[in-house]
Amino acid sequence: MSDLTNVMKKELREYLSLSSVISVVLVVVIFAFMGTMMSGEADKITSPSDLLVINCDDNSFAVDEIRDVYDVIFDGTSGEYVHVVDGNGSVVDAEYVQRLMSENGYTDAIVICPDFRNNICSTPVIKGQMMLYFQFEATGLFGGASSSIAQSIVSAVNERISQTLVSSVTDLGPNASSPIDMGSTYTYVNGEVVENVTPIEISSALMSQNFIMPLIIMVILTMIGSIVISSMGNEKENKTLETLLTMPVKRTTIVTGKLISAAIAGLVFGAAYMVGMMFYMEGMTSTMMTSVDLAEIGLTLSVSDWAIVMVMMFLAILSALGMCMILGAFTKNYKAAQTMILPLAIMAMIPMFIIMFMGWESLPSIGKILLSLIPFTHPMMVVNNLMFGEMTMVAIGIGYLLAFSALMVFITVKVYRSDILITGIGQTRFVVAMKKFFAKKSE
Amino acid sequence: MNDALVVKDVHKRYGDHEAVKGISFTVHEGEIFGLIGPNGAGKTTTLRMISTLLKISSGTIEVCGYDVSSQSDDVREVICYLPEDAGAYKDMTGRRYLNFMAGFFASGEKKQELVRKAISIADLGPRIDSKVDTYSKGMMRRLLIARAIMPSPKFAILDEVTSGLDVVNAHEIRDIIRDIADSGVTILLSSHNMHEVEVLCDRVAMIDGGEIILTGTPDEMKARYGARDLEEVFIRAVKEREGSQ
Ligand SMILES: Nc1ncnc2c1ncn2[C@@H]1O[C@H](COP(=O)(O)OP(=O)(O)OP(=O)(O)O)[C@@H](O)[C@H]1O
Ligand SMILES: [Mg+2]
Repeated sequence: MSDLTNVMKKELREYLSLSSVISVVLVVVIFAFMGTMMSGEADKITSPSDLLVINCDDNSFAVDEIRDVYDVIFDGTSGEYVHVVDGNGSVVDAEYVQRLMSENGYTDAIVICPDFRNNICSTPVIKGQMMLYFQFEATGLFGGASSSIAQSIVSAVNERISQTLVSSVTDLGPNASSPIDMGSTYTYVNGEVVENVTPIEISSALMSQNFIMPLIIMVILTMIGSIVISSMGNEKENKTLETLLTMPVKRTTIVTGKLISAAIAGLVFGAAYMVGMMFYMEGMTSTMMTSVDLAEIGLTLSVSDWAIVMVMMFLAILSALGMCMILGAFTKNYKAAQTMILPLAIMAMIPMFIIMFMGWESLPSIGKILLSLIPFTHPMMVVNNLMFGEMTMVAIGIGYLLAFSALMVFITVKVYRSDILITGIGQTRFVVAMKKFFAKKSE
Repeated sequence: MNDALVVKDVHKRYGDHEAVKGISFTVHEGEIFGLIGPNGAGKTTTLRMISTLLKISSGTIEVCGYDVSSQSDDVREVICYLPEDAGAYKDMTGRRYLNFMAGFFASGEKKQELVRKAISIADLGPRIDSKVDTYSKGMMRRLLIARAIMPSPKFAILDEVTSGLDVVNAHEIRDIIRDIADSGVTILLSSHNMHEVEVLCDRVAMIDGGEIILTGTPDEMKARYGARDLEEVFIRAVKEREGSQ
């Protein structure tokens, strides 16, 4: 035990000082990059999508308006995308709307309330009511940030009707300039109805989660990875590893000491970054339109959920460390060590960028499978998966990470017990065979 | 006399390349034994196998009665190994380095005793509190030798301890090694400096191309070839072997 603490003390001192330059620079660069990306994101809908219209008025006035507007915006495609259901003149209840939406896979619905036309055509104008229903779907960082089709259509209809009303000769009262009341918005999140919150608002609140987890995980992994590999490079260069390996200490103690201290360093850095990032995000989201409390709309994690998140993080760190100890074993010196971090950095960056900018949902199945094969994808998505009850994905993630990290630790111990640590890979049977093979080929 | 080290028909292959081709020799307790040979002869490879760093391809090695393959933990209890061109952790001071290494052998007051002993052997004066990356080669070597013998090992393995040092420093290091041997530690060292081995070692093995070509005391060897020094012995021995092949 005292050997272990002896190794750990030395490792920790090294990790916590040699540390951050690389990572801090990395984070700053990413932040700068993010900042520009966010301000550049436009708030537009570019392609038509399905829109459910439930008409509870006794005439087709509003429906026609909606179709006309849709045709103008999306080049005459209303026939294909606007689906009208007759509400039989009475108010429909939310459950009915949700059922219709989920049965057909629509994300946006407009309910035209009874007396819509009568109200608008009275003098002075009484506001006609439309209710908006949304099905919230988790998307990438910016996926949900474009406004919904139902909202754009209703505001366009509102504008169109008001233009007609205002240009009339008689004075139609103050409501003529905005004849539609779209006060009531219902969004379904995880099967629950949330009132007066639009999907955009939810996704901008969720964005902090989408944003923080992948970034923090990527940063922690590459950072501790790089300090572990560099320290291995140094040990090789100065032959201190050789000396250490002839001490009366078990190889497993040395491996464990290195792994645990790197994991502790990782958690320390992780916590620091997490706190820093929270502040940064708070500053950023407060400048955006939303003030949605995710907990209030049921998007929150329980204590056991957080435990799962921590387990995932731990396994991811362990996997990364194992990888680095293996890669580090092949380095000859400090300089060579610097390039060895690349495989890990790439493995952490790919899922981070994909999850942030494209979103998991928008990937084709093959993309999802490929992404799942990268172990670090799973901890990056775990918060979202837990919120939206994707427990299969969570379970797959934990299982995969467990297997992967066990494999990494196993290989690490193997490597530490073999000649490779001293001689490098140049002389292993495999490499020799490969060299021969290529030498023959080139003859 | 007991044997501190018995090497029997040991081979080592790096992939296809056979670096050590069936060497055998013994080192008696309390002696300074020199392994000499040119670059690439297989000295480092041999010493690494003895210190449990590399696996033996075939053959056996016993250190103080322990087998290096099956009892490597026991072997590591009795040996110390000083690698060729070794350094220390760059961001540590000499004192901290000794403290860290002493931590593997003792704790509390005993550990401090080890550190004090090592500091006096290293004899670096106030520079013991400087970072090791400011040390000259000679200072570094003294620190590392002090580290190596600090825990009073039974068997010390020193790979090219004086290489790269000037005459004065090399001489000082040799004095330290004699002192260590006088205190009862068996020493196995490698060198390609024939003169050094001649003045320092009780017995010598000459190694070339992964094979031992001659073993004995320096005087025996010189007498056998009627040579003035070991350099001449080595050259004649190599020629003789080539002739017989
Ligand atoms: N890791 C390795 N992979 C492949 N071959 C190696 C390796 N280490 C040593 N060799 C080869 O084994 C042979 C013996 O090397 P070794 O380092 O033991 O020689 P040495 O006697 O210590 O030489 P020097 O005086 O230069 O230190 C050499 O031919 C060398 O090229
Ligand atoms: Mg050598």
